Amino acid sequence: MQSSPFNLRRAIVWIGRLVLAGIFIYAGYSKIFLPIVHPHPPIGVALSFFAMQVDSYQLLPPRGVNFVAHTLPFAEVALGLLLLIGWRLRIWATIVTLIMLGFFAAVVRSYALGLQINCGCFATPEPLTIKTVFRDGALAALALLMTIFAFIDARKPHPWSSPEKA
Amino acid sequence: MIRRQILALTVAGTLFGLCCVLLAAAGLPQSTGAVSDVDPHTAFGSKNAPVTMEIFSDFQCPACKTLFTATNGKLMDNYVNMGKVYLIHRDFPLPLHAYSRIAARYSRAAAQIGKFEPVEQALFQNQEKWEQNGDVDGTVAGALSAAEMTKVRALVKGGTLDAAIDKDYALGQMYRVNQTPTTVFHCKGQTYPYPGVMSYDILKQFLDQLLSQR
Repeated sequence: MQSSPFNLRRAIVWIGRLVLAGIFIYAGYSKIFLPIVHPHPPIGVALSFFAMQVDSYQLLPPRGVNFVAHTLPFAEVALGLLLLIGWRLRIWATIVTLIMLGFFAAVVRSYALGLQINCGCFATPEPLTIKTVFRDGALAALALLMTIFAFIDARKPHPWSSPEKA
Repeated sequence: MIRRQILALTVAGTLFGLCCVLLAAAGLPQSTGAVSDVDPHTAFGSKNAPVTMEIFSDFQCPACKTLFTATNGKLMDNYVNMGKVYLIHRDFPLPLHAYSRIAARYSRAAAQIGKFEPVEQALFQNQEKWEQNGDVDGTVAGALSAAEMTKVRALVKGGTLDAAIDKDYALGQMYRVNQTPTTVFHCKGQTYPYPGVMSYDILKQFLDQLLSQR
């Protein structure tokens, strides 16, 4: 029996791809180009500004802070585009999920420690509050579901694909 | 399959574009280049320095103390005193702190007799003590001579200091400051608001990047 092309699992994969891709691309873009600052600063200034936000989490030594600050924004844009395109979806979905879980763990830790810091998620200054914790948790859950369902779906022939010849 | 991917890209691209426009439109107030309403007694360094830093601070806030003790000393030595950064202290006493405004009044009074630095240091270094018993007066007295303290007390009693504190607070609200410390960097007409503590090494990189802009 062939499954319907419109089921909940497939819908969640699509929603996850669109939502997370949009968020990842905008998050990376805003860190690289700082759209809230006019006139726009050079990329080096924007990335060193982001480094201060990474540092405020008090998780990494200065070298680690610099590595994350100079690679994460580009990785976010690339992963967002790869999610949209859908090529080798399971690989990129897994990586996005791991990153989202990492963000969620960092945010929960900072909130639990009472650190009064900026989220650093986008370019706008945004204090890390319980709202941030819930938002990151919801996005991490969406990423996880999208990845699990993408793996499940990959085991089955797509309902729109032509039937296999005997 | 390809058609579906093109459709997804188009939809997401449109959504992304809309988000960018909306978020950019909701940006922060832009700097006009010059920083206004600066009390010269609570500002350090050269007015003509290429970078200006306004620190919105609350004397009773532990994170402000951390910024002051861990970062400000090196910042003063390597950037402010070298003419690279103009550092401005802005009062932003949070209503949830019982003695913040009183401490701000004493520091403003001390600033008027040219003693802001020792009083700022005394208030931050003894924060745990006076926030328990509210003895701001005693803490400030420990950093000044008897004659200076008499002048400071007279200024505090005069009741004229709140206007300057309120001015700083209103300026902070214009920058959408909602936590302390918040540092607003100005360079080449650009404004960078940064809430939170900064470690010196990472702040140094940012300042060097700002200073290397052509």
